[in-house]
Amino acid sequence: MEKPQDNQLIFCVSDFIAIFNQTIEYSYPSVAIEGEVASFKVNQGKYVFFDLKDSSGSVGCFMSLFQLRTPIEDGMKVIVMASPKLTAWGKFSLTVRSIRPSGEGSLKKSYDLLKTKLEKEGLFAIERKRPLPSQPKSVAVISSVQAAGYADFIKIVGDRWGGMRIDVANVQVQGAVAADQIIRALNYFNTQESLPEVIIIIRGGGSADDLSVFSDEKLVRAIASSRVPTLVGVGHETDESLADLVADVRAATPSNAAQILVPDKKETIRSIKLRLGSLVPIIQNNLSQYRSEVNRLVNLALDNLDIKFTEAASNLNSFKRLIGQLDPNKALERGYAILRGEYKTGSIIEVETSKFIMKAEVKDVRNK
Amino acid sequence: MSETNNETIQQKTERLSMIIAWFDSDDFTLEESIAKFKQAEELAREIETDLTSLKNEVNVIKQRFEEES
Repeated sequence: MEKPQDNQLIFCVSDFIAIFNQTIEYSYPSVAIEGEVASFKVNQGKYVFFDLKDSSGSVGCFMSLFQLRTPIEDGMKVIVMASPKLTAWGKFSLTVRSIRPSGEGSLKKSYDLLKTKLEKEGLFAIERKRPLPSQPKSVAVISSVQAAGYADFIKIVGDRWGGMRIDVANVQVQGAVAADQIIRALNYFNTQESLPEVIIIIRGGGSADDLSVFSDEKLVRAIASSRVPTLVGVGHETDESLADLVADVRAATPSNAAQILVPDKKETIRSIKLRLGSLVPIIQNNLSQYRSEVNRLVNLALDNLDIKFTEAASNLNSFKRLIGQLDPNKALERGYAILRGEYKTGSIIEVETSKFIMKAEVKDVRNK
Repeated sequence: MSETNNETIQQKTERLSMIIAWFDSDDFTLEESIAKFKQAEELAREIETDLTSLKNEVNVIKQRFEEES
């Protein structure tokens, strides 16, 4: 049997565990391990246990539920950031600080699980969406100032509109710390004395893994609870993140976010000129209507005058005809005669016809 | 900002919209229309000047977000 050498230290068990943990913590303060999740379970609503395995090995993992930022299921491929540790009971395990799905299949699975969960909570409901101001004067941007998407956004906003104050929170937009940085920036802007009118979160295109930051549960909830309306433009047009879905307004890309945020000044000036131009015909039409009305009234007066003249002429003709009918010569022409003198037997009376004037004696007078 | 009377572009645009709407309203009179048109023209000129001259002020804030402050 092997015996300890004279100068060899002899540990008690708990000291050995402490020394072992100290040594391993010094050698591996943090390890990143990729593997498949097995026997995933949550105890007491607080503690998460699972095994991380590959084809020929398995290691137990522990973490608090609070640190779990994305849904995990058995069979998912994940990458954990962890510290190795020997427990007081001699069991080797990994104390996990963060875990994220790895590979397209696991990312998609995790995304779908969280999407379903948040959808049930109503976080993506249309009724929650707030409109953005049409011409904001103060906005906040959360992005990496080194990112191409950020440069595009600032350029397009500058080309389209002016007079805005743009406060920028420079954060990482990919990697393990990105979600927390974005959340801190959101909290920063939401706690300012003078709130911005919109918070814009932007990031250019990237791999599904890069963009998975924007489907982090805590970040999505932080966006949902923002006091300030949010506009999210992440990735390319075909990319979809949960941050997009929970935002008040979703933009397809950072450039599109700029187009949504502010109107185009050239278009605005053109539109104002068009509207101004449309007033000229209104004035001209009204002038023309006034002219037409005046003409109509003058014509009406002339028409009335004409009618009165015609009526007067017609009356004059009637009188002429009447007067003509009363002319005694007309009666004489029709064969009648005018008698003048006393109507008594033996008197001489004058008889006038159309052609002659004669004297005649009255032979007899009788009543009819 | 070069905005006169401290009016924002939005306020000027709203005022312009009200003047333009007056032309389609029952209040329209031919006598007033020329003065109103001149007002609209002046406002449109001011808005164009504001829009072309105003620049955005981009301010990268000093606060660091690496760790909880």
